[in-house]
Order: sequence, then structure tokens, then C-alpha cells
Amino acid sequence: MAAGTAVEVVMPQMGVSVSEGTVTQWLKAIGETVAPDEPLLEISTDKVDTEVPSPAGGVLSEILVAEGETVEVGTVIGTLQAGEGAAVAAPAVPTDPEPTVAAPNEPPAAPAVEATPAAKAGTDDERRSFVSPVVARIAAEHSINVSTVPGTGRGGRVTKKDILAFIESGAPTAPATPASAPPPAAATPVAATPDAPKPVQKSPEPAQELAPGEHSERLSVMRRAISEHMRHSLEVSAPVTTAFEIDMSRVVAIRERLKGEYAEQHGVRLTYLALITRAAVDAVTQWPWINGEIRGNQIITRSYINVGIAVALDDGKGLIVPVIKNAEEKNLLGIARAIDDLADRARNKKLSPDDVQGGTFTITNPGGFGAIFGTPIINQPQSAILDVEAIVKRPWVVNDENGNDSIAIKPMMNLCLTYDHRLIDGAYAAPFMRDLRTNLETWDESRY
Amino acid sequence: MSRLGYLFDLGCVPYRDAWALQQSVAAAVGQGAIPDSVILLEHPPTITCGRRTDEEELHVPADANVEIVETNRGGKSTFHGPGQLVCYPILDLNRHGRDVKRYCRDLEEAVIRTLQVYELEARRFDGLTGVWLDRPPRKICSIGVHVSRWVTTHGYALNVDLDPAPFTEWITACGLEDAAFTTLTAELGRSISVGDVRESAAETLGDVFDLSLEPLPACDVADLWPQPSHERIAERSKGEQAPTDEAVSVR
Repeated sequence: MAAGTAVEVVMPQMGVSVSEGTVTQWLKAIGETVAPDEPLLEISTDKVDTEVPSPAGGVLSEILVAEGETVEVGTVIGTLQAGEGAAVAAPAVPTDPEPTVAAPNEPPAAPAVEATPAAKAGTDDERRSFVSPVVARIAAEHSINVSTVPGTGRGGRVTKKDILAFIESGAPTAPATPASAPPPAAATPVAATPDAPKPVQKSPEPAQELAPGEHSERLSVMRRAISEHMRHSLEVSAPVTTAFEIDMSRVVAIRERLKGEYAEQHGVRLTYLALITRAAVDAVTQWPWINGEIRGNQIITRSYINVGIAVALDDGKGLIVPVIKNAEEKNLLGIARAIDDLADRARNKKLSPDDVQGGTFTITNPGGFGAIFGTPIINQPQSAILDVEAIVKRPWVVNDENGNDSIAIKPMMNLCLTYDHRLIDGAYAAPFMRDLRTNLETWDESRY
Repeated sequence: MSRLGYLFDLGCVPYRDAWALQQSVAAAVGQGAIPDSVILLEHPPTITCGRRTDEEELHVPADANVEIVETNRGGKSTFHGPGQLVCYPILDLNRHGRDVKRYCRDLEEAVIRTLQVYELEARRFDGLTGVWLDRPPRKICSIGVHVSRWVTTHGYALNVDLDPAPFTEWITACGLEDAAFTTLTAELGRSISVGDVRESAAETLGDVFDLSLEPLPACDVADLWPQPSHERIAERSKGEQAPTDEAVSVR
């Protein structure tokens, strides 16, 4: 989206039975900058207050519906001047959570269906209001926009028979999925096992005989969440790992030179992770699919990079992935400060739920434990995860200015990238890694 | 086939700690990290103001021992206190029809069915979200909800066994002048405790939203998201934990 494009903010559809909404609070003032998907205003319907995320990044330029006013669904309530932060390939007007989320699941034949006489029999609004709860429920369960279903009832009304026939006819029947998250594997696979939930919960320990020497403890929610999330990732993606060897001589030297200054002048620890993250973010800007996502049959790319940093919790209780938002805007100091801050707050249990939202690319750092190779699992719905390995002094063949080979002792580091082959081919991932290696081996202080 | 959901039954929790917990659970539900989850608890005496609460609604006596908290839920002011069953369903409405009005009607349905267990015929009044007994109208359950990215927080508060005077004397609850408030105990003429109602409340909620709710200990929420306030909740409920939560060893 080019800078300066006007984007309309509309009163979102908060359900088939909801025809209007009241603006309760604008969370941004005119002239204020808003990031894509950041809460822009709050609306209320009935006794429900809802946050409306911004349809794009930019500056709020116009408020057309003031706080306290009630307007019909679809009414333009404000305007944004989309700027640098605008979503690149996201749908143009995702203010309404519905189009953003439902679009990929909607039957491709929707326009044709709309043109049939039956569909024209009533206006959209009338037809919506005629939908029975049963039909609404079936539609919701199958992620169907009822207005795309040909209705044979009175006034074009969609009957239960119509919607069942529509589903039969091959409409997508996947359950609705939130735009930002995969269908929770936690819910479906477990529930799909015929006798899973209740019997298991009633007698978790006694049911299993322990052999001598065995020890048993209950699986915590955290561990269950991780296990479902990881399994889900392997179910939906086609992960491939590629590894690069990197000569870290220059980065080691620069860190040695800067770390005292960072600590004294800025109170910030300059870690290798910060340097590698900065170099990786720079490479990601050149290879946007690394930061992309497959959503339905769309490829989503972004003009921002939210880097998740996997942090292990004490006592092996699990891990959290706090996110550095808009990492592309930060220089080395900014990245180092953000990592320091997140690590600090993770240790002191001060992270907020917001700190782990919205990651678009993840970096994990088992190198801290001495690991030299890994095949991490992609943090869905992202497309790639970078594994940072230990820096190890190794004999390395170097070529001097006279073209002579010799063996030198070099601080070498492996970087492993696991990427989703559904979206990213080796011929895309490898040059990304090559560029990342170049960024590190020829670290240019004027750039970072 | 109903979906799996988690049920956290937490006892009495200060409002702000419970709110922090709701936000954490909502983040986890929104990311698909955990399934739909339901929190059942009681609050110490607390007055909460929604976004649309007017100044005139609050007329709390100076000596009242009550915390006043501003919240981001829909609706106006209300009162919470021991003896009231508070139910916070943290659901991803992407799985439940994406319709905030229907969600309110479904919450009401769950409460109406819970009251049927006690042979009370409760009803809705158009435009007055909540659950009522009729002739004369008296409110037994208040509803207020917040939705972010289709994930719900807040929920309902069912008066089981408490003095309903604060609803009218301390505040003009829900902004309703002249509304009467009642409790299960008052209606039945015998003492019913929150503990008595919890099970049927979870069951009817599970029925209405097609969830098979698995009860989990409070320490699990503390683990899920390390926050001091969550640890307080886990700590407080430690004594109540089921023995199955203990690690078992065979030597």
C-alpha cells in the first residue's frame, strides 16, 4: 500500500444479529499514528464492548462518528492515511474482523451466487435478519457467510435446507480460524478422540500403572499448550532446515569494542543475540516471505517485522516467546535494549500478554547452552524460525590476499533456519541465509 | 462432539488479580495455545464500573468496605461480593458464531438453565441484558462482556447468597433506576452456597457452548503465564488442590 492512501474505517459487523454499533471510545486521536491491527477504537453493542483493530498502519486523519453516536454496520466512521506501517498484502479494508478472517474460507463462487435471483430477493440486511438461529449456527460452524448462500425461503431467506445443500455442494467446511492464530490443535485433536476429555481427567494418575523406578506428574497446561502447538505446526507445515557456517571474527571484535560503551553509556547488555537479530532483521527486509504467512489461499507479507525471541522458563517449566515489535525500525542499540528489557521482564515475571502477541518471525538461541546444530519447529502461523548456535573456535581454511590457503583459528557459528516449504523454497531460504551471513561477516557499523 | 475446554475454579480472588488472569488466559486462547476456558470464582466486595458508567450511579457510603475498580467491559456499574458466582468464559467466538448479541443470549441461556436446576423459571427482558425473575421483575444475574479479536472476557455474575442491598444502596446497578435485585437463597427460602451452584453452572455453560470442560488446578494458570498476581491465585488455592496434582513416584 503506497504511503498516503486513504483507508476507510467502518463499523464492523459483530454478528448476523447485530445491525448497529455505538462508538464508545476512540483510542487514538486525529493525527496519531496507529500500527496495523493495533486497537483503534472501542464500540459497544448490547452489553458487549469490542476493540476494533486498525485496518492498516498510518495516521488517523478523520473521525466521522463521535463517541456516543450509534451508526449502522458498514458506516464509515473514520479515515486513516495509510503510511509506512500499512499492511502490504493484507485485504484492503480489514477493519471488520469478519472479512479479514473469513475471506480465505469463502467459496470462490461467491459473486456468481450473489447474482442469482434468489439472492437478490432481499437486501443483505433483510436477509441477515431473516436467518434463523439454526442456520446462523450452521453457517458459523462452517465459516459460511450466509449472504453467499442462495436462499429459497420467503424473501430469499436462507433455510436450513439451503445451507445444508450449500455445504453438500462442496463449500469449504473448515471451522473458522482467527486471522492471527491457527485453529487450536489443543481443541480439535483431543476432542476428536472418542472418549478423550472426561475419562482422562477423572483419573489421570491412578489409571496408569507405574513401574518401579518410574515417576509421574501431571502435564501442566503450559506443557499441553506447547505440545499441541508443536504438533499442530508439524501437521500444517512442511518444515525444512538449512544450515550456514558463519565466520564471526568481525562480530566478535565489534562486540568487544562496543559492549563497554553500551553498558556504561546506555546501561544495555550487548549480546551476540542482539547483533545476530539486527543482522537477521536486515536480511528479512530483503526476503519478505521469511516474515510472511500462508493464510487460507493467500500469502500475507508485511512491512513490519515483529521478532519473537524464545525464552526458556526456570525449572524447565516451558518457554515464552516475547516479541520485539517493529524490529525493522530499531538500530543495534534499540534491538539490544529491547532484548535486554524482554529478558529482564521475563525473569521478573513482568511480561504482559501483549508482549507475546503478533510475532512474525522467531529466533531461538540454544547456542547459549553450547548447541551447534538444531532443527527448530516453526512457531505457527509464521513461516520461519532461526536457530542461533554456539560460537566455537575452529580451524578454518582462509585465503589471503595473495590467493594462498592457510588454516586459521576462527570463531565459527552455525545458523540453522527452519522454513515452511509450502511457502519458501530452498532457492529462497538459502540466499536469505547467504545475505544474513554477509551481514555478519562484513558487519557495517554505519548501517546498524 | 463437544470440544475440550478448560475450567479453572478459583475460589475468592481480588478483582484486579482476576482481571490480570483473564487477560493472560484470553491471550493464550486468542493465540490458540489453549482451548476455550472458563473461570469460576467469587470476588471480595467490589464495585466495578463499565465504560459507560455515569457519576450519578455511584453513591457509596464513606464507611463501606468495598473496592472500586474501573473496567473495560460493556455495561454500567455493578457489585460483586462473596456469595455471588462470577463466571468468566474466555471463548474464541470464531468458534461460536461470531455474534456478540447471540453470545449474550447464550450466556443468559446458560444461567436460565442453571436456575432451572433449582426449579426457578427465569427469563430475559428485551433490551435488558441479564437474567431476571418476573412478577415483579427482579434481577438475579448481571452480564457484561468485552471482546477483542473475537475473544471474550468478563461474563456473568449470578447472585447466590449475598445481601443485595449494595446493588441499590451503594450504586444504581447497571444504571437501572428502581430495579430490584434478588438472590437464589432469597428466592428459594433456604440457604444455597456458591459451591452448590458451581457444578451446574459449569455444566450448563458447557452444554450451551458445546464444550466438554476439564477442571484444572489454579497452579496451572500460574504456570501458563508467569505473573506475580497469578502466583498469588495459585498460592491461595493450594490447600484446595486435588491429590491427583501431586507428583507420584514408585521406588
